[in-house]
Parts: sequence; C-alpha cells; structure tokens
Amino acid sequence: MTDVTSIATDTKTPALRIRDVAKTFSTPHGDVVALKPVSIDIKQGEFIAIIGPSGCGKSTLMNAVGGLLEDYEGTVEVDGKVVRGCHQEIGMVFQEESTFPWRTALDNVAFPLEAAGVGKEERHAKAMELLNLVGLDGFENRFPAELSGGMRQRIAIARTLAFKPRILLMDEPFAALDEQTRLLLGDKVLQIQQELNQTTMLITHNIAEAVQLADRVLIMTFRPGTIKRVVDIDLPRPRSSKMMGGERFGHFVATIWEDLREEASKGLLELEQVRST
Amino acid sequence: MAAIEQIGRGSSASAGKAKPASEFWTVTRLRIAGAIALLAVWEIAGWSGLFFRGVLPSTVFIAQAMFQLLTSAEFYWHLAVTSFEVLVSFLIGCSLGTVVGLVLGSRKYTGDVFEPFIHYLAPTPKIVFLPILLVLFGVGVWSKVALGAISAFFPMALGVAAGVRQVSPVLLRVGKTFNLTTMQTVRMIYLPALVPPLATGLRIGLGISIVGCLLSEYKLAKAGLGFLAGQYYEAFSVANMLAVLVIIFILASLGNTLIEKYVRLPGPGDVQAHR
Repeated sequence: MTDVTSIATDTKTPALRIRDVAKTFSTPHGDVVALKPVSIDIKQGEFIAIIGPSGCGKSTLMNAVGGLLEDYEGTVEVDGKVVRGCHQEIGMVFQEESTFPWRTALDNVAFPLEAAGVGKEERHAKAMELLNLVGLDGFENRFPAELSGGMRQRIAIARTLAFKPRILLMDEPFAALDEQTRLLLGDKVLQIQQELNQTTMLITHNIAEAVQLADRVLIMTFRPGTIKRVVDIDLPRPRSSKMMGGERFGHFVATIWEDLREEASKGLLELEQVRST
Repeated sequence: MAAIEQIGRGSSASAGKAKPASEFWTVTRLRIAGAIALLAVWEIAGWSGLFFRGVLPSTVFIAQAMFQLLTSAEFYWHLAVTSFEVLVSFLIGCSLGTVVGLVLGSRKYTGDVFEPFIHYLAPTPKIVFLPILLVLFGVGVWSKVALGAISAFFPMALGVAAGVRQVSPVLLRVGKTFNLTTMQTVRMIYLPALVPPLATGLRIGLGISIVGCLLSEYKLAKAGLGFLAGQYYEAFSVANMLAVLVIIFILASLGNTLIEKYVRLPGPGDVQAHR
C-alpha cells in the first residue's frame, strides 16, 4: 500500500498504464474504427477524467480497461503487469441503475463478497463499513425501490469498493441524476477517493464535473476516437463543488469547451447527415 | 363516498411507497361490500320471477347443495381425482414451460425460429387436442393431465422467455466485473430476476390447467369435478352444478393466493414492479 503523501513519480511504474489500446468493430456495413490507439499513464492516486462527444469510443476504452471487452488491440497494465479481462484490482461503476432490486442495501454491497465465499457475519460487517463510507448508515435494511437515485448510485459505488480495488473506473456515474445530487455526489466521490488514495478514471460528458473532480482532463476526438488534448487541472485540493464559481474554474471549463466544441459539432453534423439520408 | 375519496387520497399520497395499513383495510372492506352486493343482486334476480327458478336458483339452495356435497363421500372422490389431475398437469406444464422459456429467451436464433409457433398456438383452445389425447392416453385421468399440462405450458414458456430477455444487461455486467461463475450468475442474478415473470406464469398456468382438466372431464371422463358438474347439468340440477363451480372457484383462488404469497421477491410490494 502506497501512503497518501507519496504519489508515484514518472520514473516509477504507473498504477495503470494503457498502451496503444484500439478497437475496430466489424459490422455488416464494413469495419468501424471505434477507437484509434490510445495511450495513457495514470499515477497511483491520480484522478483523470475522459471527456468527449457521444460516439468517441470512451465507453469502449473503459470496457477494455475494465475487462468487459477482451478483444482489443494493445495492452493494459496494472502495476506493470499486463491484465486482460475483469480484475479484482479494477472496480467499475456504471451509468445505468445497477443495484439488485431484490437485495437490501446491505446485501447489495455484500454481493461480491458473497460471490467470493466470504461468511455472512464478515461480509455484513464489511458491507456496513462501506455503507458508512458512502454515508448510508441507517439505510442498510432498505431496498433500492425505497431509496433515491443518488442513494442507489452510492450503493453501487460502495459495492464496487468491496474488495478495495486500487483502480476505480466510472462510466458517467452521475448521468442519470439531477444536477444538485450530481454535485453533492461528486464531492462524496472525491472524499472517498482521497481517503482510499484510489487511482480513478472517470468518463463523462459534463465539463464542470470533469474540472471539479480531475487532476487531468483528457479530451477525445469524435469517431474514430483518440486523445486530442490533455488539460492539467491545477486547482488546489481538497476540492469541492463550492469552487465552481471561481475564475480559474471558469477558465478551465472554457478551455476545454473550446476543444470539445469542434468535436461535438462533428458528431452532431454526422448525426444530422445520417438522419437526412 | 367518503370511503372512495379516502382511497383516492391514500393511493396518490403513497405512490412509490408501501401501502399504509388503513388503505389495506378500506380496500378489504369495499371488496367484501362488493361481494355482498353481488350476492344480493343474484338473490333479488332469483326471487323476482324474471328467470326460471331452476336457471337462477336462490343462493340459499346453492348453499344447501354445497353442504350436501361437502358431506358426501362421493364428492371427495371426484375432488381427489381433479386435484390430482390439476396438480400433476400444473407441475408438468410449468416445468416444461420454464425450461423451454429459458432456452427461447437465452438463445436468440432458437427464439426467433420457434417462438412464433408458441405465440400463435397459445390462444388456441387446447380442448381441440382432446380427441388425440383420448386416443393416446385413454379416457382416464392421464388424458386430462395431458390437456392441463399443454394448457399451462404456453403462458409459462412465453412468460419466462420474455423474463429472460428483460434481465437488465447492466446487472449481468456487474456480475462479470466480479468474476462470477456461470452457476453463480444463474443463482444470484437470473433466478431472482425471473421471480416476477415466474409468479405470473405460475398463476396463469394454474388457472388455465384447471380449465383444461375440468373441460376435458366434462367432455369425457369417469370421475372428477368437471364430470360431476356435467352430470348435474344433464340432470338440470343447476343449484348442484353451481355449488360445484363455487367450490372450484374457492380452491382456485386459494391456489392463486398461495402462489402470490410465496413466489415473490423479498422487499416491499413495489420491488416486484421496480424497473
């Protein structure tokens, strides 16, 4: 375990190394390049956000890193070891509703521990700890249907943390939530990420969210997707949604939008062309 | 009127939450009131002379006939025969339906090829197969079991197939990220996710296998409640026939309630409808 103060330097092996990861889907209408080779090095404890227009292959990238997609070119390394397929050191949080409706909050969080054969008492104690971490103590016996969307997403996050993965991948985790919940949950995620010193990769299409949370923002191009530009967000930590009014915050949002605008326009244009034919 | 307004308020205020106890009792009271009103209408129509007394016998006569039935040993023989047929056909039909539904739902090509057949056969009255079944299984209980099983099979197969397709793909992805084995995926994700469609299939299957067994008994049999009702009908003993039907109705409702009570997911009632 690396301690919080010593974030690995560039000379050390990065916690997560993505090397020339690319993906071409073959369809009946010919091959579609979803992702051109992408390479990213992410340091231990670093928070990066990937932002791009719809159809830029950001979900493909995340699925390749997370292991849901195994048939891709290039390599993914965790601490210098090549991994392919799902891995205990990599946790994933999804955009969609992903809690099990027939399980209580506690049993939802305990789900991966149950699958791994951890005894009832131990997994419940551990799940309780994680529910406390995401601020859901007192709700352990509630079912998802009795909780709000934000609370359900926090259950999903707690569940992902069950094995304390070193790396956390989040695919637009706040997309289904309203703006206020989204900001507050962002703060919560930051707090947890700092506490566990997790290496985090967030996929989003919300610029403010990327600036609020990330150390680096990677802007992707429209299809075929690849990394267009990297913006270092050197806002001080600890961060919170309160910083959103700041001048530098606004500057970053504007810079990113300038790059993103061009790509988003391309996407929109293509969409309109498809519609008109 | 006041009670109706209360229900209106109660249900709008409790949308998305468990029903409060007071609303449950109001609903129960209204249901009982409805049943009493129905009996009263029947009784008044019976005594009004608008119908032949024989066609629409008083509820008192029906109750008397029921009492006679329930105290005769012969009735229990018929009840036992029908219960056996219904239970066995229900088990066979629903098991086969579940297996076929799982295959159709999880294999796209198999589903595309065979599901239309099942869809179009499902609403066909299965009684048309009775002559074939009589030849195959004889006039005894097994032709009835076969018809009941065929009846229960269709709603079960279609319900389970639709249920498999509706299992949220993100839940399966969650399972994959935690490296679940195939058996764990079935046990921890598919099976619980399939409980609501299974319950629906079982309830429809039970009702329809009862109909199948009774109808085929009515057509040609040596024993059973359908056979008994048929005999009373031939003898124009309507009160007795209705008494048999009321008893069947009560038993079917009981079966339905048992399925509703025990084949369900944990959690509040709304969990069943969640997503």
